[in-house]
Amino acid sequence: MAFESLGGNDMAAQREAINGILPFDPNELKDTVSGNIVNPYPRYEELRRESPVHVGAVDFGEGASDLNPDVPLPITVVGFDETVAVLRDNGLYSSCVYEIVTEAVMGRTILQMDEPEHREHRALVSPTFRSKVLARWEEELVRGIVDDLIDSFIDKGHVDLVQAITFNFPVQVIARILGLPQQDYPSFQRWAIELNSVAANWERGMAASAALRDYFAAVLDERRKNPADDLISELVHVELDGQRLDDEEIYSFLRLLLPAGVETTYRASGNLLFGLLTHPDQLNAVREDRSLIPQAFEESLRWEPPVAVVLRRAMESTELAGVPIEGGADVALMLGGANRDHRKYENPDEFNIFRKERQHVGFGFGVHVCMGMHLARMETRIALEAILDRLDDLKLDPAPGQDIRIEGLAFRSPVSLPVSFTAR
Amino acid sequence: MAEIRIDLEKCMGSGNCSYWAPGSFDLDDDGKVLVRDPATDEESRLVMAAEGCPVGAISIWHGERRIDQGAP
Ligand code: HEM
Ligand code: SF4
Repeated sequence: MAFESLGGNDMAAQREAINGILPFDPNELKDTVSGNIVNPYPRYEELRRESPVHVGAVDFGEGASDLNPDVPLPITVVGFDETVAVLRDNGLYSSCVYEIVTEAVMGRTILQMDEPEHREHRALVSPTFRSKVLARWEEELVRGIVDDLIDSFIDKGHVDLVQAITFNFPVQVIARILGLPQQDYPSFQRWAIELNSVAANWERGMAASAALRDYFAAVLDERRKNPADDLISELVHVELDGQRLDDEEIYSFLRLLLPAGVETTYRASGNLLFGLLTHPDQLNAVREDRSLIPQAFEESLRWEPPVAVVLRRAMESTELAGVPIEGGADVALMLGGANRDHRKYENPDEFNIFRKERQHVGFGFGVHVCMGMHLARMETRIALEAILDRLDDLKLDPAPGQDIRIEGLAFRSPVSLPVSFTAR
Repeated sequence: MAEIRIDLEKCMGSGNCSYWAPGSFDLDDDGKVLVRDPATDEESRLVMAAEGCPVGAISIWHGERRIDQGAP
């Protein structure tokens, strides 16, 4: 995924947190980082009808960027089959492209590794994120967190769901799964926000990265002595074929969880709510039949993937959809372009939780497919259940002239979701 | 009756198949897919599991006819 700033202005602290990470020269990838793009989909379709694969600078509405003459021309992919082909061929299309983007901030993580190193490292951490292991957190943890958040505004009749719920619950869920002491949440949340917004403020972001490392070092020490029932205890004790994670690897992985697990889920749950609130008939259908929630979430991930750009690097010269790609070229996969491919989906622009064609690449695909997808699905489902259980007559209620919309290019979500409701 | 075929070499343990068709798929302790009882899930669920497999390790068959679209 591309950790980039797409939020627009960052005046307030919260607004800042909405920004992603931008630790490289913005001009290098300007077409994927330009801000405030509201609807990139017509442009994706126009491009796709020309060709699903494009060479060189692509203009997404903010002007095409200047290209670096010293590196191969970048590639932009806007077709479904072509995106899947790239994500499947992890030998030819390498994740090393993330080295410059993420290593400085998080350390070396599975996101940037290729096989076989990737497989070995992922196997050490993935068991904790299996759906069966997560099931126990559902009621006792996630539901409690969301209920507490709802308690804080239940008697008001009006609330911004982004500020009050979606922005808050993913970081609290992660903190509790990691097993951080409750009194540390405020500092943890602050570091998480600062790390995730390193784009807006590099020095502060790097300071947060260092602070998190020191903080985790102390927690690791403590868990070595007194193992508890949490992820950090598990990470210090996992072993696979005699292999163990060293401390630096654990710090890197824990720091990866902030942008990969917190920001993504906050955006994804906002997009799901946006889809349902702008389609009241479907919101009602889900209210009546909660078993529709999983497919509603998948449809929102197809319709508005919150991580909308995934990057790879072509390791040798090749061809994709008949288009020549030079060895060393960076390849930007526009997941929103793939997920609305007119050759694959009927009425691709329509949000329809009942559509037959459910496959999508919102969680990526191939060996790097999202490792947190079961957590994301579970916590988003529980959050929506709590909202539906407790808030009746839920509808969008913007201030006069306020435009409620999803925006961004590499990361997309609504900035706010003001709603009115009656408490149950 | 639908038959599930698995390419175990390919499986990377995403657990996506067991999310969509929990009666038919599970993960073993090594994180590799296990086939349980395909009769417990609707056929459309088996097809979703196959098409959603991120590494294309699953195919669903009626005799010698493959009924999922696979992934490209
Ligand atoms: C709905 C919310 C989420 C979305 C849309 C999402 C999306 C993605 C995507 C597109 C990738 C692939 C990146 C690539 O191939 O370059 C990915 C990878 C990853 N995600 Fe998620 N993610 C979400 C939630 C989470 C959560 C909750 C966690 C963790 C707790 C998480 C952890 C990871 C990790 C560790 C990877 C790297 C996997 C690897 O490289 O093997 N994600 N995610
Ligand atoms: S979806 Fe595919 S990769 Fe994932 S566990 Fe099932 S068979 Fe394995």
